[in-house]
Amino acid sequence: MEPRLSFPAKISRLRERMKDPEWNRYGKILLMGKLTGVVLILLAAVVMNPDLIGFSSFAADPQLKGNDIVNPLNTVWTLIAAFLVFGMQVGFTMLEAGFCRSRETVNVLMECVVDTCLCGLLFYAWGFAFMFSHGNGFIGMNWFFLNGAPHTYETSGVAFLAFWLFQFAFADTCSTITSGAMIGRTGWIGDLIYSFFVSGFIYPIIGHWAWGPDGFLATMGSAGNFFPSLGMGFHDFAGSTVVHTIGGFIALAGSIVLGPRLGRRFKRDGGGPMMPHDLTIACSGGLLLWFGWYGFNPGSTLSAMDFEGIGRVAANTTLAACAAGLSAMFVAYFMSKKWDMSFTVNGFLAGLVAITCPCYWVSPGGSIILGAVAGIIVVYGVELLEYLRIDDPIGAVPVHGICGIWGTLSLGLFASGQFGATGQFGADNSAPLKGLFYGGGFQVLEAQIIGSLIITVSTFVVAMIVMKVVNAFGLLRISTEGENYGLDLHEHGISAYPEYVISAMGRPGGMSGGDTHAAMAKTPVGGKLGESH
Amino acid sequence: MKKIEAIIQPFKLDEVKDALIKIGVEGMTVSEVRGHGRQKGHTEVYRGHEYKIDLLPKVKLEMVVRDALTTQVIETLNTAARTGKIGDGKIFVSTIEEVIRIRNGDRGESAL
Repeated sequence: MEPRLSFPAKISRLRERMKDPEWNRYGKILLMGKLTGVVLILLAAVVMNPDLIGFSSFAADPQLKGNDIVNPLNTVWTLIAAFLVFGMQVGFTMLEAGFCRSRETVNVLMECVVDTCLCGLLFYAWGFAFMFSHGNGFIGMNWFFLNGAPHTYETSGVAFLAFWLFQFAFADTCSTITSGAMIGRTGWIGDLIYSFFVSGFIYPIIGHWAWGPDGFLATMGSAGNFFPSLGMGFHDFAGSTVVHTIGGFIALAGSIVLGPRLGRRFKRDGGGPMMPHDLTIACSGGLLLWFGWYGFNPGSTLSAMDFEGIGRVAANTTLAACAAGLSAMFVAYFMSKKWDMSFTVNGFLAGLVAITCPCYWVSPGGSIILGAVAGIIVVYGVELLEYLRIDDPIGAVPVHGICGIWGTLSLGLFASGQFGATGQFGADNSAPLKGLFYGGGFQVLEAQIIGSLIITVSTFVVAMIVMKVVNAFGLLRISTEGENYGLDLHEHGISAYPEYVISAMGRPGGMSGGDTHAAMAKTPVGGKLGESH
Repeated sequence: MKKIEAIIQPFKLDEVKDALIKIGVEGMTVSEVRGHGRQKGHTEVYRGHEYKIDLLPKVKLEMVVRDALTTQVIETLNTAARTGKIGDGKIFVSTIEEVIRIRNGDRGESAL
């Protein structure tokens, strides 16, 4: 008979046996069985006595009402979306930096960062008040410096400041779009001044018309408001017009007033676009924008309770971008017989811009068609600007301006007649939008044309005035010497790749910070260069 | 035959190249170079520290031309590359003993 083993001996025997695959398998099965038993006993205990582990008291709280669950859910959803939209800044920065020349890269980076900072403070001070508070049809007149704000915004059930953050991220997007067409020749002071007008006035005030609680385009078609006989308001779910067309047409005004970069010759003059300097960065930036769009569009429901809406919007957004990327690629191929990467990236971005307005009301099939059309429009849009001799280094005007208009109008064609409005507790499909192609007639299309036309024309006119005035003071465009020397060095004192451009040959150690750095400025290098410069 | 080397401002390259082709220069070699002349570069500021950009980016054009074309090339370079400011660059002219086209062994001016 075997002697009784001590506990440590049993453990070491077990360890030996576990090395055998057969034993090991049986051992694991036994362990799983025992664990399942423990879990079942625990569950049974919890069911029989809910207070046992303590969390049931929360659900049983008689004070808890529906909104106590719904409002936090909606707020968290809106905040997640806001963070994603903010992430689009990274995308814009990379896209613009990649598509520009290396000599103006630091300027692009600075522009994107400083735009964000400026926009945040302006949107706190009065931008949000102009855009989203009650006032009249043209401008909001409450909540300056966020004073007197309620706990949640309107009927959304979203915490007021969360809604503010979400809308700040949108405003920031609009102002960054503008900078894209003005790369490489805008003086820094001019940059600050026009950004101040874009983020502080143009975007919030014109945006109020479509998105403000009492904006005249938002309430259009109802009794006692603008154009009551139309019977239909202007719809822009996530901002094809409000964010992208406004941004794109300010960009257009800016690049017209600035004129092209020095040395930029257009195709009809025997030239062509200036070469980009980092397509890896540009393409990654484009994809990051696509990722951020999942906050931009689905987040615009402001409601996690409208879960079907979120899902539909996210899927539609994806399909439009896919279709547009491919259609732009093929159109570009027919034009140039090359599979053009830059047009493909601009293409899927155009699809994203186009689906931004109709994303809630169209079907996946409709999204694919309207996205594919956007991909075609963007390529010819780029060619049109080239023909008009307007220098838009990253294609901000065709992508955001022109495809923003297309997206807005496309709602009037593709609205499927199934979906109405999103809401705090879920979708309200009692008054669905039905477009022309689904037998809904021209009503939605007319409303979209009126809204798009009013906003586009007003934006362009106001932006032209602002740019012309800044330019008249000689602040918008950098001096010829500065532009020739390079915007980065002239305005910011450093190139984006100082290791390669400046010191790689002269100084193997490159430019380090601190004392070495200070010493470098004073010490002659190679016994030749003194302080006489 | 003369070899003409011109060191010019990078942003003048297209203008200069087009002007040279227009007067009949058949070929040229262009390189991106860095260097300094009498001015010895610029001072810039990064994080509040002054630093020198002592070797400035320039473009160097090299071309070998018939003797008859030499004066015209120099004149063209002088006009097309000039901004009138410090840093416009220099032109160097030297005599070339022999030119050989590798493809077929042509020598002299016919190889240009």
